[in-house]
Formats: sequence, structure tokens, C-alpha cells
Amino acid sequence: MTTTIGLEIHVQLATQTKMFCGCSTAFGDEPNTHVCPVCLGLPGALPTLNAEAVRLATKLAMALECEVHEVSEFSRKNYFYPDLPKSYQVTQFDRPIATGGSVPIVTKRGARSIRLTRAHIEEDAGKSMHAADITLGGETLVDFNRCGMPLIEIVTEPDMQSGDEAYEFLRNLRRLVRWLGVSSGDMEKGAMRCDVNVSVSPDPTKRGTKVEIKNLNSFRSVKRAIDYEEQRQAQCLADGTPILTETRHFDEVQGTTTAMRSKEASNDYRYFPEPDLPLLQLDPAELASVRAQIPELPWEMQARFERDLVLSPYDAALLTEERSTAEFFQQTIALYDNAKKVASYMGTEVARLLNERGKTLAETRLTPEALAGLLTMVEHNAISNTASKDVLPLLVDTGTTPMEVVRSLRLEQVSDTSAIEGFAREVIAENAAQVEQFRGGKEAVLGFLVGQLMKKSKGKANPKLTGEILRTLLKS
Amino acid sequence: MIIDKETLQHVASLARLEITPEEEGPLLGDLERILGHVAQLSSVDTSAVISKRPAMTELRSDEPSEGLTREEGLGGAPAMRDGFVVVRNVMGGEDE
Amino acid sequence: MSSGLPRTLEQYRHAVRAHELSAEEYLEETRQLIKRGDPQVRAFLHLRLEAARSDAQAADPSSPLAGAPIAVKDNIMMAGERCTCGSRILEHYVAPYSATVVQSLLAAGAIVPGKTNLDEFAMGSSTENSAFFPTHNPVDPARVPGGSSGGSTAAVAAGFALGAIGSDTGGSVRQPAAFCGVVGFKPTYGLVSRYGLVAFGSSLDCIGPITRSVRDAAIMMNVMAAHDPKDATSVKRPHVDFEAALQPTLAGKRVGIIRELQGLDVQPEIAAAMEMAREAAVKSGASIVDVSLPHVLSALPAYYIIAPAECSANLGRFDGVRYGLHVDGRDMTETYSRTRNAGFGTEVKRRILIGAFVLSAGYYDAYYKKATDVRQLITDELDAALQSADVLLTPTTPTTAFRIGAVTDPLEMYKADVFTIPANLAGIPAISFPAGKDAAGLPIGLQLMGPRWSDADVLSSANVLFTALGGES
Repeated sequence: MTTTIGLEIHVQLATQTKMFCGCSTAFGDEPNTHVCPVCLGLPGALPTLNAEAVRLATKLAMALECEVHEVSEFSRKNYFYPDLPKSYQVTQFDRPIATGGSVPIVTKRGARSIRLTRAHIEEDAGKSMHAADITLGGETLVDFNRCGMPLIEIVTEPDMQSGDEAYEFLRNLRRLVRWLGVSSGDMEKGAMRCDVNVSVSPDPTKRGTKVEIKNLNSFRSVKRAIDYEEQRQAQCLADGTPILTETRHFDEVQGTTTAMRSKEASNDYRYFPEPDLPLLQLDPAELASVRAQIPELPWEMQARFERDLVLSPYDAALLTEERSTAEFFQQTIALYDNAKKVASYMGTEVARLLNERGKTLAETRLTPEALAGLLTMVEHNAISNTASKDVLPLLVDTGTTPMEVVRSLRLEQVSDTSAIEGFAREVIAENAAQVEQFRGGKEAVLGFLVGQLMKKSKGKANPKLTGEILRTLLKS
Repeated sequence: MIIDKETLQHVASLARLEITPEEEGPLLGDLERILGHVAQLSSVDTSAVISKRPAMTELRSDEPSEGLTREEGLGGAPAMRDGFVVVRNVMGGEDE
Repeated sequence: MSSGLPRTLEQYRHAVRAHELSAEEYLEETRQLIKRGDPQVRAFLHLRLEAARSDAQAADPSSPLAGAPIAVKDNIMMAGERCTCGSRILEHYVAPYSATVVQSLLAAGAIVPGKTNLDEFAMGSSTENSAFFPTHNPVDPARVPGGSSGGSTAAVAAGFALGAIGSDTGGSVRQPAAFCGVVGFKPTYGLVSRYGLVAFGSSLDCIGPITRSVRDAAIMMNVMAAHDPKDATSVKRPHVDFEAALQPTLAGKRVGIIRELQGLDVQPEIAAAMEMAREAAVKSGASIVDVSLPHVLSALPAYYIIAPAECSANLGRFDGVRYGLHVDGRDMTETYSRTRNAGFGTEVKRRILIGAFVLSAGYYDAYYKKATDVRQLITDELDAALQSADVLLTPTTPTTAFRIGAVTDPLEMYKADVFTIPANLAGIPAISFPAGKDAAGLPIGLQLMGPRWSDADVLSSANVLFTALGGES
């Protein structure tokens, strides 16, 4: 049984203003307060194209290895719906800004490249809230704040074969749009929306009937919907029920898809070139400048970390999840040359603290200099590894230097052998039973004694030295 | 015949126009004649024509500009509630 | 006050600046004329004379228009005033913003006495398609003023305003100007902002001045022609002073006569006026050249595919959701249909249906795509012809003003646009100027067209012929 999946993703571009007017794109304000004649479709209004939207779209298309077309055209897509004020959407039909491209993914099945068909820019419609959501009976409420928001629509080839692959694709695409600063990629805030086309066929050479699924609110929903749909279609094939070409609605609660309505063949959008917007001609010099602004891509960096820095796949993935994290890491290892140690520390201690604080790395005051400094101090035995764990929270919260923290907390590691000897004799005197056990051959007890000494020294004693000194004393 | 009753009704529904039975006959007649007249273009040889649409010379910079207040923009709307425009429930209508 | 009231913008401005007359006084005279005459002419849909009076009191004589009354066609938005587009669907709609051109005119000192009548959504050639009432030609009230800017041309002809603005998509400024005996100018597409003009045929629509003299049109163009960042089809052009650019002769100019239009049926007096214009041109130093536009007769069918196609999309926004007429139905689809059915007149419906048809699946290539290719072909031919001629001379219309109710066949009405449509398809400047009268005393209009961006030259050449053929009547 072969499953064929294609995705249609709408990504909101991170601009200050809408695609065709100067209204604010800020999220969450009172309904119908970011409006003007253009985005309300008032008589006489005309669209003007947002330069930043074009720049961001071009940047993303280039990063996706699309062919970016120097000349592209806008089109009108005509249909009636209350959240579409002009009763047409300004989009790109015949001549989109980009075609081709791909996104690499890695799943249990291995590494694959998912091809893209095209990417184009268009305006968003308003937001409709249906009576099912609110106790209003038979009414729909419309907010035009979202109307006119700038979108880039990305259409994939039907290359994916499982819910997992679709999930990974979306994760990677989201990672990329955030990495480039093109979009927040937040599906919850509607900055990224996805429609899915699924077909199942017993014959790998013949594609099955294509079913569209809408109303997917998260990547997980996408996977769940595909998994369910796969099963449903397989069942239909098995018991001879015809699979209809239709649009189905995903039910979050049940985890099932249900028929919305049969895809109206009469949905003739009557596309034609938008007369109010001349052709979009991209300046080659500006294109070159945009291309130069594209950093090393997250998956390229991830592969490089594994390959050249010999980081584990887990660490490499974690460090390249967000660009700010990756940059932080790179700046740290420029100052402290042990990539593995830094990666490990960031993946454990730092990650744990961030989790506790509920913050991202960028939201804390930890600097690469501070982290590098801390790790250097541990390496030079200026403080113990254990002590470093007390220092880190202060670096994260207050942004001071490790040196200042160590001094203020008096955490300087004690490597003075006579001082340690002093503590050691106390420990031996106070723990006769364990000393007996050690002398009797129980090696493991040394750890307990070391711990006792560390306690006495308030964690400052150099653990390695401590172990050696205790052992020497115990043996005598 | 270029346009028959079914096509007329189909096109009318695309345009959200209602054609009453009284209007249908005369409208069909008018449209048939008009479309018949413009169909003469099919005999014009346009094989060598190259479209010359101009390109935009400058794009709008991404700076917020003053819009309309809700009252200014939607003061004439037939139904509003809590700042939203109210319409008949459209579940099962066009896709978003 | 001087012996007679100023009859042109130029005379008015002179009088005001010479302190012979104030804006307020002139407006009062205008108000009297409107009160006496408009109940018969019905040029205006709404008047704002009280507000205009305070505007006039504050008028600055040193401003370009010095408080002159300028009427505005009711498909051009003026903040705080109704903008009906001659349609029931916008019968009570009040504009929340002003068109860029209106803002420019007001800033230049214009006073707006009211909004003028038009064919519904600018679709028509007689102003009979207004949902409210027809306008009557001031020269002969039994006849149409032309359309779709019939209210504006009638207002200027009747003295209800010193100038007006209208919109020209297939001839809607020039044809009514010809019928009413005034000047109507369609600028190069992109020279005057369309922001705030309720769109009919987006790639064809132009706002243009309607005046008593060609010089007045140049004065208005000095205020109206400007790049507008709110209109992406607006083009930045080097500054031109259209009034200063008016030349006294046609010395060295080549006036082109279009071969393929010679065979068309034209009222004898109009053919005679063409002859007189040719003679006047030669007398003024021009040479007459014969030019060929092999596909000019395909302009009309191409237009009647493209304009309806664009209008079918442009009028989609009138759905009763955010503004305008709203008629309830059992569901949203029915609400849309009932609203639009009740709100739109027959001609508008016809054009929307044609438009939706020619864009629909299966017909797009044969109709819309074909029409846009033919449009390019005609444009190329015009551009080529305008290499061997500086201006092209044609009648504006095949006949003078017809009787109200005389033309009921839509196709026959469309065919009257044969001379004006090519300029809209090609986006080139074109002007209609008065050139005498026919045997019944009805005004005759002749047209000059020029290359893209030669607006100043077209105005200049028209001024020479206008003056030679009698000037402002």
C-alpha cells in the first residue's frame, strides 16, 4: 500500500505592514482596528506592494533552492466569502515568484529530499469565527485585521509517504523560516497553516484518489490526520467503498477526518492578471544582496556539527534548532575550543535551567563569553565542576562574569593539598565505619568519603586531588 | 449558440446574481448578440503579438501608515457585534 | 464687477486675482443658476452648496483654482459626501476618504458644489443608466448629454460649474463632452491617480478634466497630474506646465487621418466639421498624413471583452457585508444574490455576466486572452502610426446627441464608442473639443489623440484647432 502526500503551506511573512497597504500586522488587538480602504475593499481603493514582503519571500525561496523568477505577475482569484472583502484575492497564478526547490528531511526511513513545486506571494483573507465556536446560533463573526496580511504559499510535490515525513517536513520548514527571520512560524498564532492532500493506492505505479484535509492546527494534527486518513482509505480499498475526491475536515478531539462537502467542480476562480499591479521585476543587484544575506542553513550547520565537530546527532539537532542558539554555540567555541564539552554543557545544564525558567537562551542574560569563561575555569581547576553548577544560574539570570560570581560566592576551588589533607583527616576521623569498609576492600566507599570532604569544603575542593589524598591517607 | 440557459445560470451563480424568469429570455438574447459580436476577434491573427506589460518602478516601504478607525471603515455595515462584522453562518461555504 | 460673468476658469481666476470678483460672489451666481436650471437638466445627484459657501469664504485667490466651482462625478470619492456611482447598491453610501485627485483639487483651491450624475458604475454612453434619473442635455433637454460622465459635462455646459472631473474608460469623458459642446480630456493612463475612483475597467479607467476651453483643461491638468504612491499604476513623470506648453500654431506638426475609419457612417455635419478642422490645421502650418491602423475596428470587440471582465471582478466587492445595500436571504449565497440583484441595474448585470463568462473555464483563451492580444496589436499599431504623425484627428462620435430613450439596443449603444475606445486600449492621451454645431444646433465634437505622455502636445494642438473653429461657445 503506497501513500502519497502533498502539502500546501501558507507562511505569514514577518513584516510591519500588510501586503498591499500600510496597516499594522501586529497580532491580537481589538477586531477591525487595523483596517483601511484597501484591506476593507472599499470602493476606489488600490493595492501597493510591500517591498519587505518581497525581500523576505525572495530570501526564503532562495534558501529553499527555488528558481527565483526575475519577472512575476499578480493575479485575481475570484470567489465570494464574507472574509474576502473584494470578492477576489490578489495572488500569483500563471507567473509565480519562484518554482522548484526542496527541503531535506530525516525520519526513521532515512534521509530524503522533498521537492517543491512552487512558491508565490499573496494576501490573506480576514478571520471568520463560526457559530459552532460561540453561542450565537447561525451567525459568523468576521475580523478584517488579518485581511491583507502578507503570505508566501509553498506547494510541495506529492513526495511524502507518511505522516512522519509530513511532520518532519513541517518541522524543518518552520525551523528554516524562523532561522531566516522570515516568519515566526507559529502555527498556534496562524503564522503557518497547512492543508494536506493524501491518496492511498495498492499499486505503487498508480496514484489513488486525492483527498484534501483542512483545519489542521498543529504539526501533530497533520501527522494524526494523515495517519487516520491512510487507515480510512486503506479500509475503503479493502471493502470496496469508493474513495471520493473531496475536502475533509480534521476533528482534533476524535482524531478523525469527516467529509465537509464534495469539492465543487463549479469553483471556477476565473484567474486573470491583476490590472492594478504592474509586473514585479526583481533587481539582480538586490537579488544578489539578498542571497548574500542567507546564512548557513540549519540543516547544513547540523550536518557540519556532526561531521566536523563530531557532535552527537542529538546535540547537533538541539544546537541548530534556533539560530540564536547556534550562534551562541559558535561564539562560545571560538573562545573555548572544546566543542563537545560546550555542546554537552549546553544540552544538559543550560537546557535544564532554561526549562526551569521557561525561557529561551536569547531571553536570558547568559553570554558566550560567560559560558566560555566558566568552562575554562573548570578546566583549569579554578573551580570544581560541581561548583560550576551553582555559578551557572547566576550567569543566566544576571549576566555577570563567572569570575565575579565565583569571587562573591567564594567558590574558588581549593587545590591547596595541605588544606585538603586537613579536611581529609577530619573525614577519616568522623567516618570510622566507612574507613573500615574501604580498608577491608570496598572501593566504592571512597566515593562516599570524597563526598563528605566536598561537603566540608562546601564543594570547593578539587575532587581529583581529594580522591588521591584520601586514598593515600587511608592506605597509610 | 454561444450561451445557453444552463451556462447563463452557471455564470450568474459565479457572479452571485439572480436571473429571474422574466429577465432570462431578454438577457440571453442580449448576451448572445454581444458575445456574437465580440467573437469576431477569433479571426484576428495574434500569433506574433508579444505582451508588453510595464513593471512596477518602486515598491512601498514597510512603514505603518494611518488607516481608518473601525467606525470610519465599517460604520455602514448592516450588522456588527463587539467590533466584529456579523454575517449569516457560512459553514460549508467557500474554503478559507 | 466686470461686464459679464467669467465663463472660463482662466477668466474667473483673472477676475478674482484682480479683485473684480470674489469666490463667494461667483459661487452665489452659480448657486442661482443651479437653482433655476438643474431641476430641468438634473446634472447633480447631490448638492453641497451650504458647505461650498463656507469653502468659498475661505478660498485663497492666489491658489491655482482660486475658489472656482469644480463638479465631481459621483464615482469619485469625496470624504463626507455620498458616493452612489449612480447605483441603488450605494444609494446611501458616504465616502470615508477622498480620492487623491479630489484632495489635489481642494488643496489647489477648488470648491465642489456637488456630485454629478452618471451611468451606473460608469457603464453607458447616455447617463440613462443612472438608477436615479437621467440627465438632460442643456442644449436640448429632450436629448441625452452623453455618458457615462453626462452629469459633469452637462454641469459645465449649463454653467453650474467652471470645470468638472469625470472618468473615461471607453470614452466616458470625451463622448459626453462632444454631446454637450464642452472640452473633455482623457490623459495618458498613469498620469493622473486613480486612487479613490470607483473602479470599472481598471486597466482602462482614467480621470479627466471637463471644461469650457482647452486652456482650462490645461489649468486643471496642472493640478491633477502627479505621481501617487497610493496607485501602483501611477507613473512618475518629469514635471510639465501644461498651460505654459500651449503653442499658438501647429507649425511643423503632422496631423494623421486614420484610413480604416474613413468608411464609417458619420453624420454629414460631423464629416464637414472634420474637413474644416483639416483646413484649419493646414492653415496653421500642419501637414496632413494618411495613417493606417489595420485592426482599429477590432478595438470595440476587444474592449467589450476586457472592460466587462475587469468590471465583473471590480464589482464583486458590492456584497452588502461591509457597506451599501443589504438584502437578507436564507443563507449567505442567497443574501449575496438578493443584495446584488436588488442593487444592480440591467446594464451592470449584463456586463458582469459577460465578464464572468469571458473569464470562465473553457472560454478564457478564446475570449479574454484573445482580447488582450488584440489590444496589444492595436496598441502596437497606434504606437507605430504615431511615429509618422504627431496627432491623429477623428470625430469623437458618429452622431450628435440622440433623444432620451432613442437607443435601447445595448450593442447599438456600444458601437457609438468606435472612435473613443482605441485611446483607452492603448493608454494614450485623447481630447474632445467643440467644433461647431449640426443643423439642429447640437454640438459637434472632434478628437485628437497623441503618443503616450504627449499630453501637453495634444492639449496644445487641440487648443489651436479649438480656437480656430470658434473657441468657447
